[in-house]
Amino acid sequence: MTSTYVYDSDQSRRPIVTELTNIWVYRGLLRLLVTRDLTVRYKRSTLGVWWTLLNPLLTMSVFWVVFSQVFRFEIPGVPFVVYLLSGIVFITFFAQGVIATGSSIVNSASVLSKVYVPAEVFSVAAAVAALVNFTISLLPLLVIQLFTGVGIPWTVILVPIPAFFLLLLVAGLGLLVASAAVFFYDVLDLTAVGVQLISYLTPTFYPITMIPDHFRWIIQANPLYSYLTVFRGFVYEGAFAPTWNFVMMIASAIVVLLLGVWVFTRSWKNLVVVL
Amino acid sequence: MEESCGSAVKPAVEATGVSLAYRHNRNRAGTIKGFAIDVVKGKTASEEVWALKDVNFSLSSGEVLGVIGRNGAGKSTLMKIVARVLPPTEGRIVVRGAVAPMIELGAGFNTEMSARENIVLYGTLLGRTPVQMRERVANILDWAELNEFVDVPIRTYSSGMLARLGFAVATDIEPDVLVIDEVLSVGDASFQLKSKERMIQLIDSGAAVLFVSHDLDAVEEVSDRVLWLDRGHTVMMGDPKEVVQAYVGSV
Repeated sequence: MTSTYVYDSDQSRRPIVTELTNIWVYRGLLRLLVTRDLTVRYKRSTLGVWWTLLNPLLTMSVFWVVFSQVFRFEIPGVPFVVYLLSGIVFITFFAQGVIATGSSIVNSASVLSKVYVPAEVFSVAAAVAALVNFTISLLPLLVIQLFTGVGIPWTVILVPIPAFFLLLLVAGLGLLVASAAVFFYDVLDLTAVGVQLISYLTPTFYPITMIPDHFRWIIQANPLYSYLTVFRGFVYEGAFAPTWNFVMMIASAIVVLLLGVWVFTRSWKNLVVVL
Repeated sequence: MEESCGSAVKPAVEATGVSLAYRHNRNRAGTIKGFAIDVVKGKTASEEVWALKDVNFSLSSGEVLGVIGRNGAGKSTLMKIVARVLPPTEGRIVVRGAVAPMIELGAGFNTEMSARENIVLYGTLLGRTPVQMRERVANILDWAELNEFVDVPIRTYSSGMLARLGFAVATDIEPDVLVIDEVLSVGDASFQLKSKERMIQLIDSGAAVLFVSHDLDAVEEVSDRVLWLDRGHTVMMGDPKEVVQAYVGSV
């Protein structure tokens, strides 16, 4: 099977197409890496994978005490916990995904400098692992929706749409960070700060109406606002977000992904030499 | 198989004018902060260091090419180019068939996972499918004599046990090209003997081998030809005895 395989350094220019076929060829490895990312993190803990369910709930409790009980935030038409938890699981997907994907290449340096594996498989695996985590953490959200009487609208079956585009955005940003992190290690620290900044510019725990009218555009210009609006519409409101949110979501995901893949393919040749 | 029969004349590895440059920045801090300071000071100029310059050889199936030279001669760089890890800056490398890079064995191991999981992961990194690897687990554990320690995390393994596991997986995929970088020096005497046998088996079955070692006796014994590298350049290539003697004479 493998004996007819020929590697010729002259023919490995790796256009974007090769990048994508590599993911397919290495899908077995991709699956293993995703499972590894999901299980190894909690391997030494007693609760294991249950942490994926517990983490957003604990974060939510803290935010709930602070913002609902202390600052008395209120969201019209929906219990604050549902608004809060939907924001938290969503932003966790983004933040964890970008950071994990961004550090994927540096973290796999020991493998990549000894065995030939297309580096992007590691990045994509990190992004997909974040998606799986997100999917698991939807469970407590849906349970809380039932308990608080919000219920589960039929549009919940459309949640994969914003999740898919967020995956593209995460992968794109992650590839950008990953390429840069190989050359400059502190890019990862900067990314952590950047991700936090964008998270605060996204109305996860505060209502957008709280922002004065003439500043509101800043929040709305943040693409994540559109993703979150679409997501919340589907997951508990049972409604479709305004069209411009969809346009913003789809356009930003595609632009960022293409940019990420382009930068990544251009720098790949230097990647391993530097590692 | 048809392919390799029909093209039996074509060598398994062909290197023509292979060169590799590392761009080396003297003041490189590896951080944006450091880079910014360098820019301000006007010290961003990087210099190229050629780790390999114009190396040529071809290697047929069943043949062993020994590579010798002092530290920093470019031996490991050459191994990595053949293993496809590093793309050559200049020149061309053609490798026909599956390569098992035995450069620091078990580089893909995850210490929190069990031997079973690691065998599947490492084998998949080397280009097999998880399904194929799951079928091979028992065989590999047998050979590595690690049957009693299948389901414990391998962070509890000794370095000898890890080496055994790595070697067992890398050779189990029955590679067409074997790249061996000083790995046979690990493990105890019985393991060394066993791994040597395994290598000879693979060579007999038609694998082409690139063998890097500082153990000159071993190189002379197993190689059909020897390549002597010095600071990236080929000093001499040919009969093992002659090259090794010339090398010893120069040291």
